Amino acid sequence: MSADPWTWIAAILTLAIFSFLYKENPFYRFAEHLFVGVANGYAITFYWHRVLVPSLINPVSHGQKLWLIAIAIIGALYFTRFIPKVSWLVRIPIAVVLGYFSGAYIPRAIDAQILQQLRATIVTRSMFANWQSGLWAVIIALGVIATITYFFFSAKRKGILKPVSRIGIIFIMVGFGASFGYTVMARISLLIGRLQFLLGDWLGLIH
Amino acid sequence: MGFWNKLLKIDRRWIYTIIWLVVMIPLLFPFKIKPMAMPPVTRLFNYIDTMPEDKALVISVDYTPDIQPELHPMCIALLHHAFATKRKVGLLTLQVMGLGLGEAAIRQVTEEFNAHATTHEDSIINGEDYVYWGWTTPIITILLGMGERITNVYPVDYYGHRTESLPIMKHLKNYDDIGIVVSIAGSSIPISWVNFANTQFGVPIGCGATAVSAADYYPYLNSGQFTGMMAGMKGAAEYEQLVADKFDELGIKWELRRKGTEAMSSQTAAHIAIMIFIIIGNIAYFVIRRRKK
Repeated sequence: MSADPWTWIAAILTLAIFSFLYKENPFYRFAEHLFVGVANGYAITFYWHRVLVPSLINPVSHGQKLWLIAIAIIGALYFTRFIPKVSWLVRIPIAVVLGYFSGAYIPRAIDAQILQQLRATIVTRSMFANWQSGLWAVIIALGVIATITYFFFSAKRKGILKPVSRIGIIFIMVGFGASFGYTVMARISLLIGRLQFLLGDWLGLIH
Repeated sequence: MGFWNKLLKIDRRWIYTIIWLVVMIPLLFPFKIKPMAMPPVTRLFNYIDTMPEDKALVISVDYTPDIQPELHPMCIALLHHAFATKRKVGLLTLQVMGLGLGEAAIRQVTEEFNAHATTHEDSIINGEDYVYWGWTTPIITILLGMGERITNVYPVDYYGHRTESLPIMKHLKNYDDIGIVVSIAGSSIPISWVNFANTQFGVPIGCGATAVSAADYYPYLNSGQFTGMMAGMKGAAEYEQLVADKFDELGIKWELRRKGTEAMSSQTAAHIAIMIFIIIGNIAYFVIRRRKK
């Protein structure tokens, strides 16, 4: 059994969180609130020491990059949200952030997430170099067409649209099944991780 | 109330208890499982194994402590692989909470290697063989800035050294010197790496994903935007197996701690239990429906 007090604290907090599985209780609520507080405190400290101090406070206090003061004032306008009379000023930093990130993100996202994904569904002769890759390429192309057809709501589902959208449902269900299977695996993995800690690091039953 | 009705209304705490036992017992009394590496994991491993020697492996530690059990073994396995094959490594994190996890991973692996090192060449030295750039923000500025000059994005490393002064940084200037970036994350950060580093600069991207995210990432694997992928704890176990085989091939005798592989007997037992629950639940549902008719 561990002699490290930090391991004991972690183990007790783990058990407090797990106690929610039995029913809601004060131990669980204590651990939950502690986690939220510590996580926020940790993040705020890091933003202060790793962003604000080296990138803003240090250069400005040494008389360098004085234009950063204007940027800091724009950033500080986020806090006007708490003053109803001037809360409209919050739109200025939001507009700056939205403008920058949209401009940087949208063109690359269109390329990476639409154009390159579309390109990957094109079936070419080279894909049939072996029968397996050819078969998968055809299945993927069919799946994409059928699934998009299922979400095509501008026309009544009759004629060719009906069977194709039905095939689309099958692909969607297979996708949901895969997601569910992976979700089970993920949740079990997290339980395993905590049990490895409790049985190994804390109790010393596994090595 | 009949048997099947009782079964469908069973208190969920019984299910939790059964799952606890099913997961816990194989941890105490494991049965041996040799993970079989699937193509996405093999592709990632082979790419890192065969990339040019002057190219560095960059690991983006983009996970947080809550998903550590799934993703931390991937980071450890990648570091084992990189140092065993004498690759230069750059580590960074785009998540504040990942900062300590990255440090813990690099410290553990360097201590393991250095404990068995007999010469200076065998040792893994900070600033020469690896660099931990740490964390900064915002993500877009980092991903674009690294394409120009990494030392501009990270003037100091995690330990407070000027990055310009580190020997490793003389050969690690920007994306041109990086063989692959592997983003290990429980969020959509790997997609940001694809959007900026891969699409704009052509850097190969590998992914270590939580199992929950894995299904969403397969299209990127199919399109070649991800060079390879490890999905969940099973993906980590598969990579650990490939690294263990590599250690054998290189004649490295010391034993690796393989946390992903150690968990596989519990994972398998839990999956079987859940499959049984699903089958029993469906039988109960159909029996009751037939009786109602």
